[in-house]
This record gives sequence, structure tokens and C-alpha cells, in this order.
Amino acid sequence: MATQTPPRSDAPPKAPAGTHPSADDPHVLLENEYDFYEPIPPYPPRTEREAEFYTLGDGEMFLNMGPQHPSTHGVLRVVLKLDGERVVDIDPVLGYLHRGVEKLVENADYHQTISQVDPLEYISSLFCEWAPVTAYEKLLDVEVPRRAEYIRVLSGELNRIASHALFMGWFALDLGGLTPILWSFIERDEIVEMLAALTGQRMLFNYFRIGGVNGDLNHEFLSRLGDWMSRAVGQIDANIALLNENEIFVRRASGLGVIDSETAMRFCMTGANLRATGVPFDLRRTHPYSIYPELEFDIPTRTEGDSLARYLLRMEEVKQSIRIIDQCLDKMPDGPIMAKLPRLLRPRPGRAWAAVEGPRGVYGAYAISDGTDQPFRLKIHDPSFIHLQAVGALLPGNLLADTMAIMASLDPVMGGVDK
Amino acid sequence: MDRALARRLEARFETVLHGPAKGRHDQTEVRIGAGDVQDVLRALHDEPEFHFTMLADLAGVDTGTEMQVVYHLWSSTTSDWLRVIVEGLSRDDPRIPSVTFLWQGSEWMERETYDMFGITFEGNRDLRRIYMPPDYTSFPLRKDFYLPDDAARSPGAGVRHVERTHSPVDAAPGVVRRTSA
Repeated sequence: MATQTPPRSDAPPKAPAGTHPSADDPHVLLENEYDFYEPIPPYPPRTEREAEFYTLGDGEMFLNMGPQHPSTHGVLRVVLKLDGERVVDIDPVLGYLHRGVEKLVENADYHQTISQVDPLEYISSLFCEWAPVTAYEKLLDVEVPRRAEYIRVLSGELNRIASHALFMGWFALDLGGLTPILWSFIERDEIVEMLAALTGQRMLFNYFRIGGVNGDLNHEFLSRLGDWMSRAVGQIDANIALLNENEIFVRRASGLGVIDSETAMRFCMTGANLRATGVPFDLRRTHPYSIYPELEFDIPTRTEGDSLARYLLRMEEVKQSIRIIDQCLDKMPDGPIMAKLPRLLRPRPGRAWAAVEGPRGVYGAYAISDGTDQPFRLKIHDPSFIHLQAVGALLPGNLLADTMAIMASLDPVMGGVDK
Repeated sequence: MDRALARRLEARFETVLHGPAKGRHDQTEVRIGAGDVQDVLRALHDEPEFHFTMLADLAGVDTGTEMQVVYHLWSSTTSDWLRVIVEGLSRDDPRIPSVTFLWQGSEWMERETYDMFGITFEGNRDLRRIYMPPDYTSFPLRKDFYLPDDAARSPGAGVRHVERTHSPVDAAPGVVRRTSA
């Protein structure tokens, strides 16, 4: 006896006729499904380069990666042009995290800038604050108390270690190793908790102020820091040994995404990515600011310029940062942590540029004052933006599987790229 | 400021500089016109007495009356940052030669400046929007682009209404916002 079953359909029922289709409407999404994964833009090419990129050669194909891809470190879409498994060219599509922070800053007063720039590079927020704050201090001609400078360097170097620890974890994760990120989070979590005791927040610290810092060192921070420092070197060495002595990792990362010093300079690269090509450019030494001239530390460089060199260099920097923290604690002077400034800041008209060496490279800020209580213009220079651009030069010729390994070794953070 | 650098700049670029080189803190600043950008930056990059091999930043500025493009350069020959301000670009059709032939990395910085200010960099082969969607028609960082609500001016932000920077009631027609910067 045959039973009448309705025709099977996985598709949800159609939208009622006459209703307006919208992007939230699941029916519309289903009907136009293919459009969402189409890498070729639905308009004629706007530039010579775009026309060249979106013209396929013999045997080439497009592959759309992102915006939601587990290893793009944020919301980034990359259109890859492939020949078999080799990458021919890439076209990164940015803007998914664009907040217009420069416009927001222009429409807020000087103090409000700090909380606006925090989420740029959310892995190393203190450096995002440091550059604009220093630029404003130059506009105001204010001298920061020495204790505040020491606290800035101390917390900044801790933030640098936290950032590099996370880099180590997710670089290995992008290469397919799960363990290192679990290990590196031990360090990162401890530092983040420590900074939370100091600043009140775990990630977006909002700690630096124009003319100083928001709070003095407290007991919880110092006791946590003391505990951690007593075992930090051993712990970090263990973490590093986990990867450096892993033959699969070393073979996979060496010789990958090689860039020479001249090309790196032409691409305006800075930070560890530039130092990995042999250029000893570190603003803490080449253009000293804050109290760095008083501290002893080395600028490690390597000459290979490949992914492994960039990774090893960052691990060297962690050790140098621990040296700096040691000296900061040793030399920490007494005194005020804020310069005496009026609550409402109105710098006299002028321009100032300030740059600091962050974990990813040079963070810069160009501030213009027109004499009112709002910045007339604040241009934020972010190293991630520059380094992501260089991916386009590093990838061609490599395998599709190496895309993430190369991109991760440059350590871009999309919050900073998209501003 | 590095006085020796200022003297060298004034001697070398005597004919193209708009006024003397100025300096404050760790910065030296010179102003040039849009026509001289490529020559000046190539000289700064190539000549051993300057050797400004690093382009630290490229920024657009809308002063309300004109557009500017500002380059920040770093060199091992001086302890100063060098700021090259290219001034006098018209707000209606700002055009400036690209410096991608010196620094390939300026390509995206120029794209960003184009996206935010509408400044056309002649010679940049990929000058399209980078942050805003391709069908967007405004240039958000221009001074005549107002935010729908000025959140910082609301009483909720705790800011006293001491100045209203966004209503130039006494400004001449055509001036969006006056500044002495």
C-alpha cells in the first residue's frame, strides 16, 4: 500500500508574494546564494590594476577567502588568483572593520581620543594610545613626569610580550599546530590579568593620559608581576623550545615568504618584519623617545627575511622586553604620575608627529590643532596596514596552503588595518 | 630641531620651498607645491646628504580652504623627523603626483587618502576605494562631511559648550572651517 508522502524539499518555504526582499530574509539569501561567494565584483573595473587582476589567464581560477575565515586574524577578504595550487596574485578587500576612527576623533575632545584609538590593534592597545598621546603632549609642550614614563615603558613592554606570545600561538595555529596557542595563552593570560590589575581592563586598557598615566602601580599588579618575573624566563624558554625544536615547524616556516631589505624598505615595512631582513631599525634606538635612552637592551636582527626569521626575532624581542621590565622595576623613580594640565585641553595651533615602536612596527600619529578643544585632524599610522600590503608581494609563486603561514608571520591585526 | 638639516634643505631646495624650514620638538617641516613633489622626494630619497629612505606616513589634510598631503620621512642622517607638507591643492579637484615609484608601500596609503579625501594621486595604478564600499560617493574625512550627530557635543559626554567648532558663522562663503593650522 503506497502512502502519499509530500515531495521532499530542504528549502524553506518561499517568501510570501508581495513582501519586500531584504538581506535579513533567509529566502533571499537562499535564492541568491551564489552571489555571496562570487569573487569577481559586479561592476566594471575601476583601475588598470583591478582590470589586470580580474582577467583570468590560461588555466587560472579565482578563490575567495574570507571575510569569515578562521585564520585571517579578523575580518579580511582576500581574492586569490590561482594557477593550480600556486598563487598568482592576490587582491585583499578591506573595510569590514572600518569605524572611521579618525573622523570620530575629530568630533570628540582630546581626552576622548584615547578610548577611540584603543580598539585599533586590540592585541597591543597601549601602543595605539601611546602614539596619539605623545603627539598631543608635543602640541601642548607638556613634559611627562619621569615616573609616568617609567610606568608607560613597563606596561608597554608587558603588552609587547603579551602580543608576541599571542603571535607565537596563532602563527603555529595557522601552520596547523594546536598546542603552542594553549601554552602561549598561559603567559598571555597572566600578563593580561596583571595589566587588568593596573589599568582596570584586560584588553582595551584606556590607561595612558595626556601628560601621564591613569593610575599608579598598585600592590596587586606588583605582586603578580613579581611572581611572574621569577618564572617568566624559564616559562618562555620552554614555550620557545616547543616550537624551535619542532622539525616540522622549522622546515615548514623556513624559506617561506622571503623578502629582502631593499624591498622591505620600499614597502615601508617596519618592526620585526623589517629587522628580519637585516635592517636594525627600531625606533627605541634609532629615534629614542620616552626613557628608552636610559635603558640597556639590544636590537636583535636576522638576515634571512623569511617567516621563520620573523618568528625567531619576535621571540628574541620577548627576552629583551624582560630585560627592560627588570630595569624599569629597578630604576622606578618616585613622584607624580600626571603632569599638571587643565581639564579642557586647548593646545595652541600647530602640528605634531609622534611615533612609537610597537610589537608590529611603528605606530604613528600626526595631530593638528586649530586652537579649539577638539583635534583638527588626527592621522593614525598603523603598521598592520603596511604589512598586509606587502603580503601581495610575498605570496605570488607560493602554494595556497602557505598563504596563511606567510600572512600570519607578518602579524597583521585587522582592527588596525581597517581603522 | 636639527638646524643643520634645515640649512641643508634650504640650500638644496631654495627655489621650490614655500618659506623657510620650520622646526619644533623633534620635527623639521618644509612646505612645497604639488608640482615639485616627485623631484623633491626623489632628491630626499636618493641624495646621500639626505638619505630619507623611510616613508613613515602619508596623510591627507583638509584645512577647510585647501587640501594638503603630508609626508613624514625618517633618515639616519638626522635626529629629526622630516615633514614635507604639500600645500595648495584645490578642494574641488585635488591632484598630486604619486610617489609609488619611490615607495611601493605608499600605494595603499594613497588609496586611503583618496578614499577619505578624494585626492587623486596621478601615477598610482590602483587608485580605488579601500575602506568604503565601491558604490560610495562621499569623502568622509573632508570637513564638509558632517556626522549625523555630534556625540562629543552632547551634554551626556560631560563637555561644556565652550566653543562650537562646527558652525563657522563668520566664515567667508566657500570656507568650510577656518584654521590657522
